[in-house]
Amino acid sequence: MGSSALQVVDVTKRFGSGATEVTAVRGVSLTIDPGEVVLIMGPSGSGKTTLLMMLGALLMPTEGTIRLNGQVISDLDESQLPEVRLRQFGFVFQDFNLLSALTALENVALVASLAGRKNGEARQRAEAELTRLGLGERLGFLPEELSGGEKQRVAIARALVNDPAILFADEPTANLDSKIGHEIMRLLRAIAEEQGRSVVIVSHDQRIKDIADRVLWLEDGEFKEMTTMVTDPVCGMSLEKEKAAASLEWEGEEYFFCSRGCRAEFQEEQVG
Amino acid sequence: MTRLALRNLFQSRARLAISVGGVALALMLILALDAIVGWIEKRVTAYIDASGADIWVSQEGVRNMHMASSSFSASLATGVARVEGVDSVTPIHYLTNVVEAGEERTIAYVIGLPDQARAGLPWIVQSGRANPGRGGAVIDQGIAEAAGIGLGDPVEILGEEFEVVGLSGGTASLTNSIAFISSRDFARLLASPRMASFLLVQLKPGAAAQEVASRIEANVRGVTAQTREEFAGQERKVVRDMSTDLMAIMNLVGFLIGLAVMSLTVYTATLGRRAEYGVLKALGARNRDLYLTVGVQALVSVALGLAVGLIFTLALAELLPRFSSNLGLQIRLQALGKAGAASLLFAGAAALLPIRQIRGLDPAVVFRRR
Repeated sequence: MGSSALQVVDVTKRFGSGATEVTAVRGVSLTIDPGEVVLIMGPSGSGKTTLLMMLGALLMPTEGTIRLNGQVISDLDESQLPEVRLRQFGFVFQDFNLLSALTALENVALVASLAGRKNGEARQRAEAELTRLGLGERLGFLPEELSGGEKQRVAIARALVNDPAILFADEPTANLDSKIGHEIMRLLRAIAEEQGRSVVIVSHDQRIKDIADRVLWLEDGEFKEMTTMVTDPVCGMSLEKEKAAASLEWEGEEYFFCSRGCRAEFQEEQVG
Repeated sequence: MTRLALRNLFQSRARLAISVGGVALALMLILALDAIVGWIEKRVTAYIDASGADIWVSQEGVRNMHMASSSFSASLATGVARVEGVDSVTPIHYLTNVVEAGEERTIAYVIGLPDQARAGLPWIVQSGRANPGRGGAVIDQGIAEAAGIGLGDPVEILGEEFEVVGLSGGTASLTNSIAFISSRDFARLLASPRMASFLLVQLKPGAAAQEVASRIEANVRGVTAQTREEFAGQERKVVRDMSTDLMAIMNLVGFLIGLAVMSLTVYTATLGRRAEYGVLKALGARNRDLYLTVGVQALVSVALGLAVGLIFTLALAELLPRFSSNLGLQIRLQALGKAGAASLLFAGAAALLPIRQIRGLDPAVVFRRR
């Protein structure tokens, strides 16, 4: 995996023309760093999914530029895009979107083989990825035989099997119960932290804020508010940087706290 | 992608059964129809093939029996017999007429045989005798059974009643049969005692049929002489020419049925997995990968259809003669080739529409909530 970052500059997407023209996304700019977890939130119809599709090279912007590793991908020909999707991006969907006729192993191996890997190698990679995600015992199961959480982990394994730079997740916890949803969130966080991949999540789920480095609020196709998430070093609580109750600069780094009490405790323990 | 194609195909067993069944039916129609014509062609020349004659001599310009009339003076037999290489000459009468046996009326080639015929006799005699003799008739056993008559019973041929003295085998087809009476009865009924329809020539050992036929035409005026193979070939050609249009229409019907069934099943199969194809596109599958999937599905369906169609046709060919001696199937290699080619066309054409559909499929379809 390379140190890719996605740069979105002044991107607009319009559908239709004339009286029926609708602007789904207008003038959005954004940079996603390697290993960063970015959460895009917003009301229904705000343009989240349209933006995600453009970021994932599934939809071409009407205006603006999207760069991956410095290469403009928003200008690429339709015939060149599959290669980008296959090798640079991984997708996780709300409905899992596993191929019903294939087993968990085959679902993952298929995507590896699409990237040109020989059958044996593709299956090895798929098996390793699934085992790493705790599905070593479920390799031969069809999607209908798996639980929701297992299906989503298969989908994540499929998204990771070609070693992508960026993972796009569309409402990854929407069809999962609370406990499994938390597991999936932690998994996505770990993928970003341990593997240095960027993770872009579109969701309504407020709990995902806990694992995000940044939360973007999209409304009427524009970013209204940009929030950076931080963790209180004392109690471990995830909080919006701008709404932190207290902050402290120590040894060249800035720390944010959920309460003055936590800052006092930090000062007492660390600063002395 | 091949694995996905096969899994998709076998996952929807009902759809696969419809697809394979439809193709099998269409190919069976093509194969069976050709096999029926093949069988008729074989049956229509059965008498010629089994006549024992090396050369068939007919009225000049007449080259076959079916729907043809040949008539010349029986005295020409003497001239033919003198030609070098000729061992024996059997003059026969021939006419297409109706045989009435009980309530059954069937169209028949009526053959008039001389008492001392050395060629042209029924080649399989199930019961009774081969040469009918005066007042007697040899008819096909299947026809006799259908009419509920047997040896000793009356049968009406050329408007006169004859006694069944022999029952032959292999002398009936879907459309007609062969009945044998004596030449004398034949000549009397047609009031042409000194005429013959064909001369059946047997050769001396070592004589070449083609050369003797040429010598006959050179030495005897007003006749056409052909080797048995040539004469049978001409007969087959007439049947083939007569059935070409019918065959073409039925083949087209079979082809259209097969095409419609295949196209519909492959199309609906693709439509049913539209979302999955969208997922694959979103994950980075190229159009050609997806075309391969559709192509493999169409090809495997058609191959299975061809196999099932062939098995059914073979079974039909085996079973049909048990129920009717007048009908059989002769499966020909060229028909298999034709069915194979039709199958490939089915597969190709059936895959076209889904391929168009896939080409236009927006990968963003995966984000539309189901």
